[in-house]
Amino acid sequence: MFLAVAAYELKYRLTRISTHVYALIFFALAFLLGLSAAGGFDAVSVASNALANSPFNIAGLVSQLGLFAVIVTASFMGHALVKDFENKMHPLLFTTPLSKGAYLGGRFVGALLANLYVLLAMVPGLMRAFASPTVDETVIGPFSAMAYVQPFLTFVIPNLLITGAVFFALAATTRSMLPNYVGGVLLLMGWLIAGVLAGDTERLELAALIDPFGLFAFTLLTRYWTPVEQNTLLVPFEGVLLTNRLIWLVVGAVVLAIAVRRFAFSQDVAKRRRRQLEADVAAPDVARRVIDRLALPTVAQRFDLKAQIGQMLSLAWREALAIVRNVYFYVLILAALGFLAIAVSLGDSLFGTPTLPVTAQVVTLVSGSFTLFILIIIVFYAGELVWRERDLKSNLLYDALPVPTWLPFTAKLLAMWGVIAVLLAAMTVSGIVYQLAQGFTDIELGLYVREFFGIQFIDFALLAVLAMFIHVLVNHKYVGHFVVIVYLIGTPLLFAWLGMENNLLDYGSDAGTPYSDMNHYGPFFGPFVWFKLYWAAFAVMLAAASNLLWSRGQESGVSQRLRLASLRLSRPVLLQITLALVAVLMLGGFIFYNTGVLNEMRSSEELRTMQADYERQYKPYETLPQPRITAVDVQVDLYPEDQDARFRGTCTLLNTTASSIPAIHLNLDADLTLNELAFSDAASPSLVDSTLGYRIYELATPLAPGDSTELTFDLEIETVGFQNSGAETRVVENGTFVNSGVLPSIGYQPGAEISDATERRKAGLEPRPRIASIDDTLAVRNTYISNDADFIRFAATVSTTPDQIALAPGYLQREWTEDGRRHFRYEMDVPILNFYSFLSARYAVERDVWEGPSGPVSLEIYYHPAHEYNVERMMDAMKASLTYFSRAFSPYQYRQLRILEFPNYASFAQSFPNTVPFSESIGFIADIGSNDIDYPFYVTAHEVAHQWFAHQIIGGNVQGATVLSETLSQYGALMVMKERYGAEQMQRFLGYELDQYLLGRTIEREKEVPLYLDEGAGYIHYNKGSLSMYALQDLVGEESVNAAIASLIDQHAFAGPPYPTSRDLIAELRAVTPDSLQYLIGDLFERITLYENRAVEARAEELSWNTTRVTIDLELLKLQADSTGAEREAPMNDWLDVAVYGTRDGGEEEILVIEKRQLEAGAQTVELVVEGTPTRAGVDPLFLFVDRNKGDNTVAVTEE
Amino acid sequence: MELRIENLSKTYPNGVQALKDVTLTIPTGMFGLLGANGAGKSTLMRTIATLQEPDSGSIHLGDLDVLTEKDAVRRQLGYLPQEFGLYPKVPAYDLLDHFAVLKGVTNKGERKDLVESLLQQTNLWNARTKHLGGYSGGMKQRFGIAVALIGDPQLIIVDEPTAGLDPAERVRFLNLLSELGEGAVVILSTHIVEDVAELCSRMAIIESGEILLETEPLEAIRQLEGTIWKRIIEKDELETYQAEHSVISSRLLVGRVVIHVHSEAPPKGFEPVQPDLEDVYFCTRERLFEEPPARVVAASEEPSMLGRRG
Repeated sequence: MFLAVAAYELKYRLTRISTHVYALIFFALAFLLGLSAAGGFDAVSVASNALANSPFNIAGLVSQLGLFAVIVTASFMGHALVKDFENKMHPLLFTTPLSKGAYLGGRFVGALLANLYVLLAMVPGLMRAFASPTVDETVIGPFSAMAYVQPFLTFVIPNLLITGAVFFALAATTRSMLPNYVGGVLLLMGWLIAGVLAGDTERLELAALIDPFGLFAFTLLTRYWTPVEQNTLLVPFEGVLLTNRLIWLVVGAVVLAIAVRRFAFSQDVAKRRRRQLEADVAAPDVARRVIDRLALPTVAQRFDLKAQIGQMLSLAWREALAIVRNVYFYVLILAALGFLAIAVSLGDSLFGTPTLPVTAQVVTLVSGSFTLFILIIIVFYAGELVWRERDLKSNLLYDALPVPTWLPFTAKLLAMWGVIAVLLAAMTVSGIVYQLAQGFTDIELGLYVREFFGIQFIDFALLAVLAMFIHVLVNHKYVGHFVVIVYLIGTPLLFAWLGMENNLLDYGSDAGTPYSDMNHYGPFFGPFVWFKLYWAAFAVMLAAASNLLWSRGQESGVSQRLRLASLRLSRPVLLQITLALVAVLMLGGFIFYNTGVLNEMRSSEELRTMQADYERQYKPYETLPQPRITAVDVQVDLYPEDQDARFRGTCTLLNTTASSIPAIHLNLDADLTLNELAFSDAASPSLVDSTLGYRIYELATPLAPGDSTELTFDLEIETVGFQNSGAETRVVENGTFVNSGVLPSIGYQPGAEISDATERRKAGLEPRPRIASIDDTLAVRNTYISNDADFIRFAATVSTTPDQIALAPGYLQREWTEDGRRHFRYEMDVPILNFYSFLSARYAVERDVWEGPSGPVSLEIYYHPAHEYNVERMMDAMKASLTYFSRAFSPYQYRQLRILEFPNYASFAQSFPNTVPFSESIGFIADIGSNDIDYPFYVTAHEVAHQWFAHQIIGGNVQGATVLSETLSQYGALMVMKERYGAEQMQRFLGYELDQYLLGRTIEREKEVPLYLDEGAGYIHYNKGSLSMYALQDLVGEESVNAAIASLIDQHAFAGPPYPTSRDLIAELRAVTPDSLQYLIGDLFERITLYENRAVEARAEELSWNTTRVTIDLELLKLQADSTGAEREAPMNDWLDVAVYGTRDGGEEEILVIEKRQLEAGAQTVELVVEGTPTRAGVDPLFLFVDRNKGDNTVAVTEE
Repeated sequence: MELRIENLSKTYPNGVQALKDVTLTIPTGMFGLLGANGAGKSTLMRTIATLQEPDSGSIHLGDLDVLTEKDAVRRQLGYLPQEFGLYPKVPAYDLLDHFAVLKGVTNKGERKDLVESLLQQTNLWNARTKHLGGYSGGMKQRFGIAVALIGDPQLIIVDEPTAGLDPAERVRFLNLLSELGEGAVVILSTHIVEDVAELCSRMAIIESGEILLETEPLEAIRQLEGTIWKRIIEKDELETYQAEHSVISSRLLVGRVVIHVHSEAPPKGFEPVQPDLEDVYFCTRERLFEEPPARVVAASEEPSMLGRRG
């Protein structure tokens, strides 16, 4: 019986077209994603060292795609039961000899199998993709059947069972479909919350458990997999993944069991029957009235526009009420609020430190939590609204009413918009409540209104039109839902795959609306309005089409619908469509004039083509002798309100080579307006490439060795119109930050070449190293930030509007007002790198003085007046840093140090000579509690350190260059932080650094190199740099390491070419390292070293009162990885910390004893004697060394 | 005002021919459309109610072309579909008021009077604040007729209103229908002969999409007078009788069978019965009426030609 029911259900599903449509969609999605992963789309760049069909990648693709299966599962599982109730079949069924178990079990299994069939379509989809002729064959590995089988066993089938059980239970309990959607949302909530938790490394374990789909467990297990491991290993079904699967399968089973138990073969769910009875009692008897004639008052009926508007509002109101009176609407809102609560409790953080609840942040936070739910509400209710009458079977009643056909769609759209507006209002209230709850009263109501009602409402409203249009067009509710969802997910993918970036083709899109506290919406406001007007006109056309195709009456055939549509195509409708079309064309034309004519719209692909052209045409000039810039004096006129800037000035060019130079090669950004370019000596251009920005000037008299010439330039950033995507964010109304990159550079610039190996191959370029070899004696003659200058003399005059302060490196010589503009003259009295910037904004200024050993240094912070929160911390960090660095390394070379805030169009801080531009998003609004990592302090210290490590010594442009600047700056910042906050906060900070390093090496696109050969990878020079330097100073001693660095500075400061390399640093470090620790330099800098250290067991044995001997069983292993990530065991006799944690006199847990022991690899036992009560013990408890599994370094102590 | 249906045909995509060259003229007053389930009644009703498109043919309401001037027709239309649902969580008063708005009754005071009056006359007044989800089938139908009556419609279409109602509900509902104004074209479709017999001054019988008979019930009954005979027989005799006589109906009676036969001359062993509309219906279904004269006009004095089929 059971089998018969299951077979019937399966057969029922398999005879439905929609089942096969779903299967086809999963096939197509898998195919496209597979193709994308395998480099089948030109616009999508794939790393050359990761196989697209590796078990890891297939598991990832299948498990993520499986997430969308929820939609299908909800429908299949729900309908498996609900169809009986909807069709009122259940009394028939329930009175057959069919047992409850066979009925429910059969339906469940049948629906499950049908669902599995749909999902199995992913397998041929992927296989087909990997066998496509267009894929990049280098990323296709050998076929492995297990790679496909395993994700089904681990993810797809368990998830089907889990979600299927929940949906089936909901359908069995409520006998309706609606709860299933809500159930789906709640399951997704688990995944979403896990996503928020996973944002913080320290909470990843929890995330892995609460995600019902097991995706985060997968992430946790594989997150540190290097490309080699990704290519070769099967995802292990163990640990947290196994736990997760078991927990959720049990949850599913319990939910199902309860529902099955409660399910009864009864006519109705109990509650409804009672209500019906009450009403029947209330029905009066009228059988006696027979002969009366109906006498109804005569009423006037009006059918004019005014009446129609009234009708529309009445209908809209009823529709809106129907939405908001539904309990599930509140379930969704509660879900969103719950999600928001979790999101705010975890906060938007850097290093676990949250930001202050300033309105701009809260707006982002709130919309981040709500957006998905609003999307769900739009997607879901678009279908509900379009189908409401038909679902209620009241469609014929409504359809015969004397209202125009445009009215229902328009009214429903209005209702949807009203509901969206209510939700946005709820978001506003939640945001304000949150701010007040945090005791933050600086609430910008206007920003809420602008962000939620000015931007988001329009976006959602446009989406609502499209979603409802799709439902009208498709005219099948579930397929309609699916199409809308596929549209939402698929469009961004499709655009990425095809490399399409034109916003005129992407419904509802715009050029972006980043908000900055400093510059507000700035240059993004205007384009936003134009784009949205364009899309609004388009939406009017969609609405008109929806009205024409609106299902009224009984006809659903295509030809009949078209015939009805042509009947409805009356003159006013035609006029509406025509007007909208004209508006679309005119607005589109205007936008294209701005984005494609006034500005050039270049796709990423076109940009790469230009890069390739540049390399092909001008690479031969790379080794030509060229003069070097020795001095720059520039006048910069900033016009913030027009977003224009004019740069006039001179560069002194000196022939430092041994040969005479007949022609000077110049690069000039092709987007700049060039007014003048001239040399003090006679010169004429022999090549002007204004597309690629390359120019060659033949000098009348070649520049002899030791001679110099002056280059005079006059160029402008002219902002005209607006761009397709993004905007001019260098020169803006408030918060201009433009750097020396806009000025001409001399000679061929290898930095402009395509660096990614895959992209080079696609462009037909020869492979090239990412950076010159450390042994390259020519490359080391340039610094890594400039190949046309060494240390230069610098002066600048910057002018701006009267209410702004303009800044540049150097000391302020004079400030004056001329022609209603404010001018500032800055001059630097010592040579600086050819690396400077110009800033202007309405600033508040905090000033202080640091009394240094060689005189006072004035400290200034230029900040946005509302952002005073952490200014004191930054000032403090500057002082602490200057004190430490000048004591430990060398004197500070300037008399002044300034921090300048700039808008969050970028989120970094950057150190220029005596000048540190600092993004508003990384520290100015940090909310630092007593236990939080003080990252404004850290970032400031890092940037101040750059005044030494970059501006005193700078690496030659070869491998390891950034070690001398970034790694040493990290080290400097760590030492200042350690001095200020103690080793404990360092441990947390280093925990993040370790995580970032281990994550970074998994997405390495070419090959991981040892630290000293770093090729500009952040995960190496920042994260691994921090870890290595910290471990080194811990073992060798801070003083010794400082002395080594001081010696390096002493030899190389302000000198070059040639410039120092990381070898010079290593030599200095080796010189201060005792013989017993020399292996450390090799392990930390010259090799990729990982440990797998583990404490197996720790036993305590009381020796006397309060004295305990702790015996710890350890398993130690040292690995060394080659460049691909393949690991080999390395011999080990290394110094490691062994420690016992415990309590003394009932206090908090602390380190009772920590000792350095020299330990060999393998199993061994160490003993430590402690005073106090031991709790935990183990090896390397502070994570000084790289270890992928931190959790097992210590183990709880057991009593013997 | 009359409704003229000419040569209306409709075939569904699955091949079922729902209407075959239907031609009918329906004057004001109550018109019954009698037919079995699936005979094409609802298709015809929906087509008249502007909700379905015929493949060919035309429908005119007075001067209006129903197939193209849908909006104008809807302004004069009251339609009670065969099966319909209502917002379960809305009180009857609110929803009726809402329908009144949608029917163009924009004046608040007028609307209030109308809605109250409708609720009273359909006897839903006491249940006006109750949610519609709790309404019984009959209450729902009465609510539906209240909706249909808003705005004094000239064309009222009531599709199978008594299906599924219990006897008391049915009586109540028919009483209500009988009160509909005489000035409008009222079409009542039903498969229950008594509905037509009790209410309709004119009727048509539809079968497999074809109009088999268009007549006045009383006239049709009169014409059958003296031709219907009955006899009580044993069950196993039925086949024999069916072979020998034109049996138009048979029904069980305490374990035996009552059969009606149609015959101009008294058959042996049968006793005469006074024909009723049911006999008309069964005779028509058995094609025992000749093709009725097309479009028997209400005012016509000509008797319908009733006769035996060859």
